[in-house]
Amino acid sequence: MKKNWTILLAGLALWGVALTGYSSEKPVLLRNANIITVSGENILGGDILIQGTKIVRVGKNLPAGPEAEAIDLAGQWIMPGIIDSHSHIAVEGEVNESGELISSEVDVRDVINPEDINIYYALTGGVTTIHTMHGSGNPIGGKGIVLKMRWGKSAEEMIFQGAPLTSKWALGENPKQTNYQGPGRARYPKTRMGVEDSIRNEFELARDYMRQWKDYEKRLKASQDSKGKIPAPLPPKKDYRLEGVADILNGKLWVRCHGYQSEEMLSIMRLCREYGVKLVCFEHGLEGYRITNELVKYGVGISTFADAWAYKWEAYNTMPHAAALAAKRGVVVAINSDDAERMRHLFNDAAKTVRFGGLSELEAIKTLTLNPAKIMGIEKWVGTIEAGKDADLAVFNKHPLDPYTVCTMTMVDGKVCFDRAKYLEDRKKAEEEKKKKEAEAKAPKEKKNGAEV
Amino acid sequence: MRNDGHRLKISFGAILLCGLALSSFLYSDEELHKVWAVKDCKVIRPGGPTIEKGTVLIRDGLIEAVGVGLPIPPDAEVIDGSKLTAYPGLIDALGQSLLKLPEEKFDMAKIYSGEFTDKDKGITPDLRAYDYVNLGKSVFEKYYKFGFTAGQVMPDRGILTGQSSFFCLSNPDKAKSLILRDVCLGIGFNTPSVMVYPNSLMGIQAYLKQVFQDGIYFEMNKSRWLKDMKGIKRPAYSSTYENMADYTSGKKPVIFLCRNQHDIRRALDLAAEFNLNFFICDLGNESFEAIPELKKAKARVLCTVAFKAPATSLFSQRGKTEREKAEKEVYPKNPAKLAEAGIPFAFSSLATDDPKSFLEGILKAVEAGLPKDRALTALTLTPASFFGLERALGTIEPGKIANLVLAEGDLLVKDAKVKYAFADGKEFELKETKTKEGEKPAVNVTGKWEVTLAQAGFKVTIDFTQEEAALSGKMAAPFGAFDLTGGTVSGNDVSFDVNISVGGQEIDLYFSATVEGDTMRGTVVQGTSGSDEFTAKRIPG
Repeated sequence: MKKNWTILLAGLALWGVALTGYSSEKPVLLRNANIITVSGENILGGDILIQGTKIVRVGKNLPAGPEAEAIDLAGQWIMPGIIDSHSHIAVEGEVNESGELISSEVDVRDVINPEDINIYYALTGGVTTIHTMHGSGNPIGGKGIVLKMRWGKSAEEMIFQGAPLTSKWALGENPKQTNYQGPGRARYPKTRMGVEDSIRNEFELARDYMRQWKDYEKRLKASQDSKGKIPAPLPPKKDYRLEGVADILNGKLWVRCHGYQSEEMLSIMRLCREYGVKLVCFEHGLEGYRITNELVKYGVGISTFADAWAYKWEAYNTMPHAAALAAKRGVVVAINSDDAERMRHLFNDAAKTVRFGGLSELEAIKTLTLNPAKIMGIEKWVGTIEAGKDADLAVFNKHPLDPYTVCTMTMVDGKVCFDRAKYLEDRKKAEEEKKKKEAEAKAPKEKKNGAEV
Repeated sequence: MRNDGHRLKISFGAILLCGLALSSFLYSDEELHKVWAVKDCKVIRPGGPTIEKGTVLIRDGLIEAVGVGLPIPPDAEVIDGSKLTAYPGLIDALGQSLLKLPEEKFDMAKIYSGEFTDKDKGITPDLRAYDYVNLGKSVFEKYYKFGFTAGQVMPDRGILTGQSSFFCLSNPDKAKSLILRDVCLGIGFNTPSVMVYPNSLMGIQAYLKQVFQDGIYFEMNKSRWLKDMKGIKRPAYSSTYENMADYTSGKKPVIFLCRNQHDIRRALDLAAEFNLNFFICDLGNESFEAIPELKKAKARVLCTVAFKAPATSLFSQRGKTEREKAEKEVYPKNPAKLAEAGIPFAFSSLATDDPKSFLEGILKAVEAGLPKDRALTALTLTPASFFGLERALGTIEPGKIANLVLAEGDLLVKDAKVKYAFADGKEFELKETKTKEGEKPAVNVTGKWEVTLAQAGFKVTIDFTQEEAALSGKMAAPFGAFDLTGGTVSGNDVSFDVNISVGGQEIDLYFSATVEGDTMRGTVVQGTSGSDEFTAKRIPG
């Protein structure tokens, strides 16, 4: 009985610590907004209660409590923070390691630049999470990383904990280096067949590499068991490139494959099935609307543009309806930016799927929220507005799909990371201060001159 | 007499022409005084109390004794130090300006073959500063003027940039001035060529890991084979891995050349993964942004003082005004912040072009809050102990190398007046620049001039740059190109020195001339050994 007492006491103490930890941050109540929950119906004139980094409750007329900081958002629209599943911002240096054909050893995580001002610009367009990655110059490129737009934090703190790591692949003209105009030799491969073969070849090398290590471990054990009679074997040489490929084969890395044409996409899906590789998404995938049955069957999404095409020959066979067509047939479609500027108005791009392809408003909003979250394996935490999810929110003065909408506020983890009104006020103040300083700098000079005269 | 003069004239021409060295012109250690006594000077001792009126005795390159009222040895040359302050010679913890690396041209033919060497990829641990160092009296003088008498030099190109050497700035013969060879290995985040792997920053980070891993693997293989050659295939020789061995094992330190705070974090990742003995050279002045990480890693920092905002910084991204403001107000505080956080650091002249701007940068750091005594420590004791030289350099105490400078007043001030410098016990007197007493210049000689040496019978070209009374430039001779030093213009008169090194010999030439329009007429003196007359004509254009 005594024992139980102490346990109970310890439990209480822990609970107390947890409670104080929890309540150290004031709850925030967003009130009277039109909420696009994505997980259910829109709530017009609803409230969202945020505690710490999480959404606690969503509904109408939520009690504020005496401690809560209430923000009145009457007439404004709130949607889940926008998730850009294909981006290259916040990367220091080149996004392509093009010195050699395969670059599975390189990792965007090593070169995150948390000071990239495009992170802030992304926030001005309601973007709260991005997948930033290696370019499309290599059949198997480097590893990508999912970041939360925690502006002002360090690279390590910006990483979306729990998000699966990715491997960037590329098919077609880019790995073939069709548009490469610099001096130098023509790098293998020069055909789409060759691109696929270079991936298969790397798979075989990595399998052999893994076998070598398994064999080594076996022999090492035998040596240890023999108590010195069998000499310790020489380990295989560690190879970071092949380890990257081995991680793909072991399913540790989710594959994000750049591709345009339906034939090559079909072919690479076959290759991935053969090797048991987790292919989650085609990047761009402009001809994806032609192979929707296969994409649905194998659970491969597409991360694409609303209406960007015909910028090179492999990108001709599509139309502004493509994303909507694929989505209507059940493909998980994400509308992405691939560009720091486009990133600031992805909501306009999503609206195009309604305008051209006739998607419902909800389905259009999903292309920026729940769908990319699914593709990135983070839908447990983000992508909808519901209790228990991260408080990543984008606030607009009009419906986000309205052509005249403006993002007024962006929250990441329950913190306001962008507030347009405050930003404009700060800018005004800074300008006034600058003018004042300039005037001051001028004034004494004139006096001095006067004195000299 | 006539005969003698004739011999001298011929020799003078012969030296200039052929680079032959005749004994009468040699700059020789043996002729110099070996014993010196600096009397009644103030002695600054970093980390200890100052001696207000003491004597420093120097014998055979070492400090023999320091103290109050020491007896002056009869064989000593005496310097009256009653108006002087003795400082330990300053140490440049890491520099480049004494190094003359060969120009590298990438062989484009290799792109077609696709076969690249380690060197093409920027992996050159076999590149030694010792082999490419460029020492000379005129170079030393530039350093002495600001109190420097020793420094470390290291190649800084590519990824594994090469190995450093520590020099005393005492003798043009590098074998004599060398203190330690192959001290540190440089690691830079520089892409060697667009065409060659690795050509991205993330590629460099990945490749560095692979190279270190390969180096370790090579050593493991080698030591296995050396232990028992029977039954094991011997590993192929690799210059790269052989030269890396002491650094991968942690026996010797590496220096990461970090351009910004993110490079610093990448460096710390690598250092932790491979358990390296390391220094962070902070080229971007952003180590203050990574203080917790640096502390945790027990990092030692080499601070540079150009205080330019890295391109990745938010200040740079926000435009010129913000960047310049930060370069004035934020970055110069970096050393002070490190001092406050208790992170050990020394000063490096990398990123600043010359000793002058190096010292100016250090003074900026002092202005921004770095205590002066901390600045002095970071130029003396700390760099000495960083590189295992604390028993040889860093303070004025008996038994240490006689590296010290005598200044009128404070050394760490703008326009410091260094009067004497001792390096390895060799005395060098710094002459007052003539500009101050001279008349205002009445001519401007900026431009190229063709100089004809009458008796030597050949021509050289001098490209002058005149800024008010100060004259600098370059002399191009058939046997090499040399910098002008100590040049001044006063009225119609010009004077300048050229320090020539030919065939391993150092020759000082003192030029003085009168200018008339586009012509110049004067004499050139070679020490006490000979003189020649010269005329010069301005080359139009």
